[in-house]
Amino acid sequence: MVGSRLVLRDVEAGYGAVRVLHGVSIDVNEGETVVLLGTNGNGKSTLIKCIMGIVRPERGEIALERDGERIDLIGRAPEDMVHLGITLVPEGRRLFPKLTVEENLMLGAFRAAARRDIAKNLDLCFEAFPVLRSRRRQLAGSMSGGEQQMLAIGRALMSTPAILLVDEPSVGLAPLLVSRVITTIRDLKERYHLTVLMAEQNFNQAVKIADRGYVIVHGQIAFEGRTEDLTEHELVKKYYLGL
Amino acid sequence: MVSLDLLLNALAAGLLLGGFYAAVSLGISMAFGLLDIVNIAHPVFVILGSYAAYIMNARFGFDPILTGVLFTPVFYVLGVVLYRIYYASFERKGAESLRGLVFFFGVLFIVEVSLLLAFGVDYRMVEARYIGESIHIGPVGLAYRLLVPFVVGVMLTGALYWFLARTFYGRAVQAVAQDAFALRLMGANPFKVKSIAFGLAIATAALAGALLIMIGPVEPALNREYIGRVFAVAVLGGMGSISGTLVAALLLGVAESLTATFSGPSWSVAVSFAVLLLALAVRPAGLFGR
Ligand SMILES: Nc1ncnc2c1ncn2[C@@H]1O[C@H](COP(=O)(O)OP(=O)(O)O)[C@@H](O)[C@H]1O
Ligand SMILES: [Mg+2]
Repeated sequence: MVGSRLVLRDVEAGYGAVRVLHGVSIDVNEGETVVLLGTNGNGKSTLIKCIMGIVRPERGEIALERDGERIDLIGRAPEDMVHLGITLVPEGRRLFPKLTVEENLMLGAFRAAARRDIAKNLDLCFEAFPVLRSRRRQLAGSMSGGEQQMLAIGRALMSTPAILLVDEPSVGLAPLLVSRVITTIRDLKERYHLTVLMAEQNFNQAVKIADRGYVIVHGQIAFEGRTEDLTEHELVKKYYLGL
Repeated sequence: MVSLDLLLNALAAGLLLGGFYAAVSLGISMAFGLLDIVNIAHPVFVILGSYAAYIMNARFGFDPILTGVLFTPVFYVLGVVLYRIYYASFERKGAESLRGLVFFFGVLFIVEVSLLLAFGVDYRMVEARYIGESIHIGPVGLAYRLLVPFVVGVMLTGALYWFLARTFYGRAVQAVAQDAFALRLMGANPFKVKSIAFGLAIATAALAGALLIMIGPVEPALNREYIGRVFAVAVLGGMGSISGTLVAALLLGVAESLTATFSGPSWSVAVSFAVLLLALAVRPAGLFGR
């Protein structure tokens, strides 16, 4: 697996006249799990969309560093990101509802570099989420929310990503399932040697697997630090995480 | 047992006809069911394929199937170009459904009128050694002019099925209308995927047209007779389902053949509309719709 690192510097972005991100700088180093914390509407998804090429920043830098090479990501299309090894598990999962579980997974392997790994990746997916194996012929749209989230993660892994972006995997899931999905992301990360950036509002769950975290408030990074520091930070506890 | 022979022959002819109907309907089922493109002009491309087969046959003595194969890539390019025009003028602006219908109606009209101007209203046909012949299995006679279209139609259906179910681009085609944005997150470009798919949908008309003119003579307005039939097949099969299209086509072929044999040929066109209405009333998603 090649070493990949994401670097964002002073990113400003928004929608039309509305600016959402005001100079955001973050790093996601190889092998790290970084969590982007913040309550609704603070710009987590917008930041992820900037990395993925879905929203184009007005200012700032977004780069992928890999094997001593620096690749500028701004201006590239989302499909190019996938080919560079960056895959997103989007907000709301975005499965293909009228395709089967297996067809959804196979679409995850569309990336040319992932096609030779299909058998191996499929096995790993089914091992991590056995329910996907038993439902492989079922239509994705007919599954429960938890199963759909598992499928969305499994589908992303089928692309053999170097960097996995996950946008709020806990939304709409029962607490027990949230816990399971989050710990599975950690297991998968270790197994695949992934680098993970996860946006979450669920502080307690997210810090279970994070090495480092950023707290985003109104489109600015209000706090960053190692997981231990995050849990200790009074400001974080009191105002942003509602503890 | 004259009536049993008659029944068997009608059944056989219906099945053979059905294989051909599948070839004519595949493009419609793909465009409507998988791409959300309201290409009502498809039958006129089939007629265009028939005229290609006619010219190559009359001028150079080409076998219609050979022309169909040779013109498949030409029709593919035609489909890709047509999709690009449609995309730039309608789809990109999010104005596809109603105005798209008008666009394809315009295309239908232009192609039909061009054929009329170029070839007139006369019926045209092709010649090939095997067209007048048939083989006999027991009491059942299978005419080559139906048998060849059946075999080619079933092979074309199989090839398209294989493409959609087994290739990466094929699976992307099945996904593109459901969530084009999500498809980009898989690393596929939806515009490219739809270009390829629509190109293939139109490409099927090259062979289907060759089959049509093998079965009987063709004139430019014949597409109107086929529009009801292809919709009956595509709706009954479940729009976008290739295997469904084949099953529905075989059913319609048999239904038409039985009707023509026992009630007279003038009733057979009504059969497709009856089937269409029945399908819409009983099972709008079709036999194999998801
Ligand atoms: N497509 C959009 N068009 C306009 N405004 C948007 C759009 N998406 C998000 N926003 C706004 O941007 C802000 C940040 O949203 P988002 O990045 O989705 O936050 P989060 O993911 O942290 O909940 C919100 O105020 C939201 O209303
Ligand atoms: Mg969000």
